[in-house]
Amino acid sequence: MLPQYLQLMMTFNNKGENINMENKVSLSKKDVLSAFWKWTFFSHANYNYERLQASGVLFSMSHLPKKLYPGDEKAQKAFMQRHMQFYNTEPHFGGIINGMVLSMEEARANGADIPDDAINSVKTGLMGPFAGIGDTLWQGTLQPILLAVGIGIASAGNMLGAAVFGVTEAIIMLTIAYIMYMRGYKTGKEGVQAILSGGKMKQLIAAASIMGATVLGSLTASYVKAQSTMNIPLGQAQLSLQTDILDKLFKGMIPLGITLLTLYLLKDKQLKSTTVMGILVIIGIILGVTGIVG
Amino acid sequence: MEISVLQAFLIGIVYYLGINGTPWLTCMGSTIIQKPLVSGLIVGIILGDPLAGAIIGAAINLPFIAYISAGGAPPTDPGLAGTLGTALALAAGVSPAVAITIAVPLGLLGTIIWVVHMTVDVFFVHMIDKCALNGDMKKACFLHVVPPQIIAFIIGVIPVALGCYYGAGVVSNIIATLDGTPLKVLEVIGGILPAIGIAMNLRAISKPGILLWFILGFVVTVYLGLTTMPVAIIAGIVAYLYTGLTANAATVSAADDDF
Repeated sequence: MLPQYLQLMMTFNNKGENINMENKVSLSKKDVLSAFWKWTFFSHANYNYERLQASGVLFSMSHLPKKLYPGDEKAQKAFMQRHMQFYNTEPHFGGIINGMVLSMEEARANGADIPDDAINSVKTGLMGPFAGIGDTLWQGTLQPILLAVGIGIASAGNMLGAAVFGVTEAIIMLTIAYIMYMRGYKTGKEGVQAILSGGKMKQLIAAASIMGATVLGSLTASYVKAQSTMNIPLGQAQLSLQTDILDKLFKGMIPLGITLLTLYLLKDKQLKSTTVMGILVIIGIILGVTGIVG
Repeated sequence: MEISVLQAFLIGIVYYLGINGTPWLTCMGSTIIQKPLVSGLIVGIILGDPLAGAIIGAAINLPFIAYISAGGAPPTDPGLAGTLGTALALAAGVSPAVAITIAVPLGLLGTIIWVVHMTVDVFFVHMIDKCALNGDMKKACFLHVVPPQIIAFIIGVIPVALGCYYGAGVVSNIIATLDGTPLKVLEVIGGILPAIGIAMNLRAISKPGILLWFILGFVVTVYLGLTTMPVAIIAGIVAYLYTGLTANAATVSAADDDF
């Protein structure tokens, strides 16, 4: 590992001096757009357990080595090798890192003193935070809301539900992806750090989790279904367990109770989701066979 | 309802398009087509009953509504639940709640396909390493796109097509023998399974005090009868104001500490 790494460093140092004296290379708008679209389409095309999106990063910049290091095969090979490192982020929000790497590579080819380490540490240092931001805002908040709306429309017997979800999500996510990537390319390291350390992003994440949790509460009320049909005989009259007792105490207490129990098993008891699923099936069988719920 | 070979094959392709990583529709393939709400409708169109497909798909989507795929280790696979699940439910003619109970175990099976795909792709990464040493970018690009997709196509389309073609009759027969109380129990299970998806999402965004907002959303929906969209809008406004206030309070107290 080490000799190869040192060799890379030396190639780069030589290269840096050479290019500094000769003409500069710069990426055209088309180069940047092409890298963005290749990333957007192919980031996960070879998703794997060892290095996740590594070859996705390389593929997205496959047109760069020849452009940045014309005629310098050594530098081209070094470029390919340094972008085969482990990489895994949320591709829409995390695209800001890819955009930034693009601008770092451009600066480096023009002689800036940016060692391999710098590019790699930027990638590995930022991929986690942006995956966290992306997953919270998108999969944790936006997607459940859009799905809930779509499901509401579709389960009422309207085929447009799927389209409402799909089109809205595609427009929002591709817009975010484009803005993030271009911002990463234009503002570079400082811009990205500003996003991460700024209070606005923290506030947005905090607000998103509050909104997400509230919507999840609403979803529980609408879609976790457990209605009792049991009747308790009281002499001549019959008392309905659901409408006369449970609803008077707290409407929807069975679904809410089951959901909170599920959360307790997952979060506090740290059970695997498949185990919890099994427990829910057993609860369902007990409730169904005894006729408490039906 | 019978499922023909061609229909089974087409449903397999719908599944393939929703596998994580299929590039043809950007990541929107594995996040939009993969959702049972969408794939259910497409399967319904293939089987000639779009409306039933849309309704069943929407129901099957419920346990997966808060599905988060992060870090490459998904707990379940909404894609298989939405495609094969909808196809089998339509073939057996069951209610949406029973469809959920059929589809959720299929989702668990689907993770096997994911693991195979993520493991096989490791070989291609090593081959691309060699290309990087030789500076062969053309071959690296080819290896990144073509072989992984051929593998994904094979391990995606074949099991789903076989499952549709041979499973339809089996599931119909099982459901027929379950008529009565067993079928009712399946409905009860299908009614409470959405809790798992919701709880998993809550766990993911969990921080102190978040449970209060969850209960607020529940109460507002149950007692005021609001649907999810207005609740989302109200929650968004309240969350924005609340986090703004707490951020201000934090800076004020920090400023106080300085003096």
